[in-house]
Amino acid sequence: MILFWQSMVNGLLLGGIYAACSAGFSLAFGVMGVVNLSHGDFVMLGAFITYWLFILVGMDPFLTLPFTLLILFFLGFFLQRLTINRLVGSPPIMSYLLTFGLHLVLSNLALRAWTADFRTVQTPYSGLTMNFAGLVIPYSRLATFIMAMVVILGLYFLLYRTETGRAIRATAQDREIAQLMGVKIFKIYTLTFALAAAITGLAGSLISFTFVIHPQMGLPFTITAFCVVVLGGMGYVPGTLWGGIILGLVESLATTYLTAGISVAITFFLLLIMLIARPQGILGKGIVE
Amino acid sequence: MAFLECRRVTKRFGALEAVRNFSFALRPGEILGLIGPNGSGKTTLFNLIAGLYTPDEGEILFQEKSIVHIPPHEICRLGIAKTSQITMPFGTMSVYENILVAALYGQNLGMSKAHVAAERILTFVDLHKQRDEPAGKIPVPSRRRLELGRALATGAKVLLLDEVMAGLTPVEIEQALLLLKRLSTQTTLILVEHVMQAVMGISDRVLVIHHGEKIAEGTPTEVAGRPEVIEAYLGKRYT
Amino acid sequence: MLMRRAGLNGILLPLLILGAILLLLPLLGIEGYRLRLLSLLFMWVALAGCWNLMSGSTGYIDFGPVAYFGVGSYCTALFMIKGGVPFLLSVFIAGWVCAALSLAIGLSTLRLQGAYFAIATFAAAEALKQVVLEGDRVLGIDFLGGAHGLTLPSPPSGIFFYYVMLFLMGLVVSLTAVIQKSKLGYGLRAIRDAEQAAELTGVPTLQIKVRAYILSSSLIGCIGGVEAYWLTYIIPDDVFNVMRTIQMVIMTLLGGMGTILGPVIGASFLTLISEFLGAKFVYDYLIFVGLVIVVVILLMPQGIIGTLVKKRGKSSWLF
Repeated sequence: MILFWQSMVNGLLLGGIYAACSAGFSLAFGVMGVVNLSHGDFVMLGAFITYWLFILVGMDPFLTLPFTLLILFFLGFFLQRLTINRLVGSPPIMSYLLTFGLHLVLSNLALRAWTADFRTVQTPYSGLTMNFAGLVIPYSRLATFIMAMVVILGLYFLLYRTETGRAIRATAQDREIAQLMGVKIFKIYTLTFALAAAITGLAGSLISFTFVIHPQMGLPFTITAFCVVVLGGMGYVPGTLWGGIILGLVESLATTYLTAGISVAITFFLLLIMLIARPQGILGKGIVE
Repeated sequence: MAFLECRRVTKRFGALEAVRNFSFALRPGEILGLIGPNGSGKTTLFNLIAGLYTPDEGEILFQEKSIVHIPPHEICRLGIAKTSQITMPFGTMSVYENILVAALYGQNLGMSKAHVAAERILTFVDLHKQRDEPAGKIPVPSRRRLELGRALATGAKVLLLDEVMAGLTPVEIEQALLLLKRLSTQTTLILVEHVMQAVMGISDRVLVIHHGEKIAEGTPTEVAGRPEVIEAYLGKRYT
Repeated sequence: MLMRRAGLNGILLPLLILGAILLLLPLLGIEGYRLRLLSLLFMWVALAGCWNLMSGSTGYIDFGPVAYFGVGSYCTALFMIKGGVPFLLSVFIAGWVCAALSLAIGLSTLRLQGAYFAIATFAAAEALKQVVLEGDRVLGIDFLGGAHGLTLPSPPSGIFFYYVMLFLMGLVVSLTAVIQKSKLGYGLRAIRDAEQAAELTGVPTLQIKVRAYILSSSLIGCIGGVEAYWLTYIIPDDVFNVMRTIQMVIMTLLGGMGTILGPVIGASFLTLISEFLGAKFVYDYLIFVGLVIVVVILLMPQGIIGTLVKKRGKSSWLF
């Protein structure tokens, strides 16, 4: 029985992280209709920024977060300006193909630069765990979970309680009307994508605290983001929290009671079933094209 | 015996009732005008009949049989065809090929018979000169005629024409009216129009829709004088 | 119309001559490495052509074709190893298995729009890979070989595969050409241009999409089956590898989606490039591929053939 609860706790912690990783993906899709297949690579880049700052400068991982935020923000900004902006109004297939091309470039450049070695960020406090009612909870995972929640809440606050956020949501709902009301659409698009990239990078940094990282880790995270976002509702950012937690729980339980490999297959089947039976997500608030 | 009949059809989108308790019966061979202010539910009604939406309540019958849960392509094959307000040509194909597709699939013909049918329709809608132009690149009046030609080529017995005259010059409207008059000898038409002289001049009967409900029905003259109609249309006058 | 027929005749003769040359090459002394390279090229033209048949025609981007490649490989292998079924018959049956599977997947996923179809097919392919990888372990049997894969009986010479792949390539290209002019071809293009309008004009859109999908998938399965015998050894990570999907996509994209010669040009070009770059610099090839995709999408989304066609001003499907 304790195994079950341990599994649930693991799943919950994992889910929070998944949610943070996926929020940016949902945002980009909701506002611009862009399905960003290089999404996972922003996670990877965030993770590696933290890693290299830690290794080369000895910076504490938590302190690297602002750097990641900034660097990824600008990366997103330039990518959007140079490439994705030109696809606005084109059929969606263009955006998947383009961002897939970006994925190939980013992940393989990383591979070439940093080799395929697996790496970890090991601090003195990395291995510490706490014991709560017989359940083992690593501090780093807990901290990561808390930070992920902060990120999501921050994003929520930004979107639902600020002027800029309102502009972003208005653009997502109806581009023409937003334009008529004075919202500068392309600025919003650029801002949105940069924001999405920044948050995703931040999540990537958080990932590096507890997971092994390597240049090819991006694609699985893109797939995870898909799952989370479909579960939570495409384009509905608050839904990513639920999507993340559900996925985290499902994966954790599957890994505990079946094999790790099958849990991946289950994730996919879950995604497939969701897409076929309820594409608008569990809460029903997703955008269905 | 009604040709096409709607019985108390209701369609909701969330809290909005786009069409409410709408009933009417279409007689074969007639030209029925459907008028109403913008957003009154005309296009929704057309989409319901064509099978793009399913009514939440009520029944739609074509030749006495229900067509409510039938997919749009089958409804087309049964004989009801709809044109769209925003024309949707098959952009990468030529004008001729657009009509060919309609003949091939709408009437379920083999290639050679479809060619014959397509040629005939092409001439009927007077697009012969533009037959090889890519359909995405022809001017608006031609696009309207193409939309009409495509609907015709499906072998339709009932044509739902959604604002075919929007944006046409008076001369083009006259030509369109002549075309429609020729059409009505073989096909039954329902016209949604904002161009009042056109629809009032050509229709045998007129229905007026407002906020999704039918507020008047009768000959053009009968309907034009009705206070509810004038009120709904504050600003529009029949000359 | 007549102009188009003339266009077809104009290109038909050179194609027939090329075909004759290709048929005679092994007899003229081409062998070993070059023979293998050509066979590989034929295979990729065929694969890209299959992907084009579905996604190029309908505009529905399929990100899971490798699923059928894998299923075809495994079916062929299993029939031959466990059932002693002769090669060609195994491939034939594998094609039908893929047809059945694609009917199921197609009916469920082709109702979805754009992004969802792409994701769903991708998910299906990855899920199948996992099932093949873990299936034995979960069920406690020894059938699929897990991560170790399967070994097939000894294959005949390279020349055999040269001709089989040449045949498959010819089949796919001719099929594409025949469909372009047929009723099915018109229906597919109508769906691609304006799906709702197609539906309203009497085109049974779901049915037509599924038909194209089944056709494409079963052929991909057959090609997978042939490759299995050719390589003699198959593992899930290879025959279900998403890189195959990527290759099919960019070969068609580069050459021109929806055209007949597009996949031919795109596949030939990229196979040769990858031979040159891939052997020495794997990552460089992928970076190159990625950049190609980005450039093509931004500058010439119609691909090479498509852009040439646009410049000529006619909407011709061959050239």
